[in-house]
Amino acid sequence: MRRLVLPVLAVALALAAGGASSAALPKNLPCPNKASWQRLANRIKAPVYCPAWLPDPLVGTIGNRWNNINSVSPDRSYLESFVWQETGGGAAGGELHVNLRGYPGRTTIPTCTEVNTVNGKNHHVTMPCFADPSGTVRVPGITATMYTVNQDADQWHVLLAWRHAGGLYTVSEHVAPPLDFDKVVAYLKQELNALVLINPTT
Amino acid sequence: MRFTRKQVVVGAAAAGVLGAAGIYEAVDQLTTAPERPAAAAELGPEQHLLGGQRIVRENGAEVIVPPLHHEVVTATVEAEDLRDAQRKLEEALAGLDRRYPATPAGLGVLVAWGLPYFRRYVPAPAQTYLPRDRRAEKPALLDAVRFPSDPADTILEQNDVAVLLRSDRLDHIADAEHALFDGTGLFRVTSIRKGFAGGGFDGGVSLPKQMAVAAGVGGADLIPDTAELFMGFTSTLVANLGPEHIANLETLGLAFVPDGYFRGGTHMHLSHIAEDLEAWYLNFAFDERVDTMFRPHLKVKPGTQTVPQGPGDVATSADVVRDYKESGTIGHSQSIQPSSRLQEDYLGEDGTLYKKGTAIPQRADFNTLDNPFFWSADPKRDRMKTVPTAGVHFVVFNPTSDDFHRNRMAMDGVLPDGTKLKFEPHSRGQGFNAVLTTTHRQNFLVPPRRHRSFPLVERL
Repeated sequence: MRRLVLPVLAVALALAAGGASSAALPKNLPCPNKASWQRLANRIKAPVYCPAWLPDPLVGTIGNRWNNINSVSPDRSYLESFVWQETGGGAAGGELHVNLRGYPGRTTIPTCTEVNTVNGKNHHVTMPCFADPSGTVRVPGITATMYTVNQDADQWHVLLAWRHAGGLYTVSEHVAPPLDFDKVVAYLKQELNALVLINPTT
Repeated sequence: MRFTRKQVVVGAAAAGVLGAAGIYEAVDQLTTAPERPAAAAELGPEQHLLGGQRIVRENGAEVIVPPLHHEVVTATVEAEDLRDAQRKLEEALAGLDRRYPATPAGLGVLVAWGLPYFRRYVPAPAQTYLPRDRRAEKPALLDAVRFPSDPADTILEQNDVAVLLRSDRLDHIADAEHALFDGTGLFRVTSIRKGFAGGGFDGGVSLPKQMAVAAGVGGADLIPDTAELFMGFTSTLVANLGPEHIANLETLGLAFVPDGYFRGGTHMHLSHIAEDLEAWYLNFAFDERVDTMFRPHLKVKPGTQTVPQGPGDVATSADVVRDYKESGTIGHSQSIQPSSRLQEDYLGEDGTLYKKGTAIPQRADFNTLDNPFFWSADPKRDRMKTVPTAGVHFVVFNPTSDDFHRNRMAMDGVLPDGTKLKFEPHSRGQGFNAVLTTTHRQNFLVPPRRHRSFPLVERL
């Protein structure tokens, strides 16, 4: 129990302090585990982005305890999901969930399908996976568009999408306690600023 | 601007909070009263009509600029001598009439009475004089009900009276609160509900956005800057609101008004609805918000807030059924139009020819940060919380309770011709119902001005 409470307190305290501001982050943070991201880049034969900074307690190492989804599809697109969850009210509970995606070989927004079952009949509704663009975020080397309505694993997330080397890349974060929309946007900017590009070597 | 805890948390006694504005004081800091036309000259028989309304054009549609401040005070009767109480209340109301014109720049005051009042205090004359709904073959005033998409714990209230106060001026509302409730011995206040609307018609950021951001409500940053209401669309289009006398009990012939006692009166439904703005703005793309607010596949320019809904745009039951079958979704406006708009031309009892497609209900809803009320005499029962939340105090005037119930049932896919479109509660296909949670409901009768004070007491 004690082991669980400590990271929760750390999250609560970091949020109470307004979260780490980008000014407080050292520049050129290293990828926490380059080997795991290098393997992903080599596997999909395309560049990937390693998150050098994620909100505490998340650490951007593929295969660690926070990495609940490590998925590559036949079209070489990937989803790396990092999540921290704790049940309980107030500062004792909450969720931090960050998704990183890449779609090598395509720059258009993918299409998602929602199944709406009404009166026993399934209605398949197609929609853009990322919608409602609302501004641009710029960091060195990346100009990303912010999308506020997103589907599938990015549902209820705010998402930043950008293009690189003929591919589409995204980072998104869940709007859920202990974070509100403002804090998610602040975190996303920080995450975007701390991405490390890993090119395939084979 | 961010609200302080002191602004958010108000005291425990009704006397202490009467006149207190709490977070709503910020309305006056965030915007100025809009320019208004000259005051209306004379008070009509209807309590529910406001004169001096300002109309602006938005996206080709006429839009009414609503009063900035709104408040509803509910109460039970405390007075024992009802004839004396009738005289005292009328004197207080007449005093307000003398001080303020019945306009947004002045003060709109409406006194509405619930079934508990008629049953407890004037049961015999109520049997004789309460209007009856000819179409429904029921009393025009019915107990509120829970609708299919309502939670099982929606509270059906039993207040004797509700007073609606509307003004651009907070001090006018505070004056009315004191005149009617503070030490008068007439009423025991059961709840105080406050809110605001508009504020963005002359450019700049609207009140709902500024107030929600200041209160730290989830999803507040996603509200469009100039939105009239939290949900992002303009609500007070002239074509969406019934013209002057149409919601009167007698105008469309819906209600039989014995001896004309309640002629010029109407019916009021009051509810509190919590709005999950994060779900609305993070899960529904703009196109889907338009689909579910208005009708599926409606094409409007991205970012549009004012969507014209004139008589020619009115949907029929067949349109609603077709969209339901094709897409599994219905739009909010579309679904209620078969019951809320005239299906054919109608020569009203007031001599006006109301054209097919004309809206019948007159809404006076307003946004709130109450959770669910500004103040409650029974905080446990009302599940009062001190954290502000986005919501709407929904106030609507229809000729009868049944007429309102038909509209509300249509929102849940039960159309006036009996067609039932099946939806799971809070299903996405049900449009914006998916992000709304109704906490309280009650129906009231709004007497004409001449009988607004303790109606029927003189007939005991």
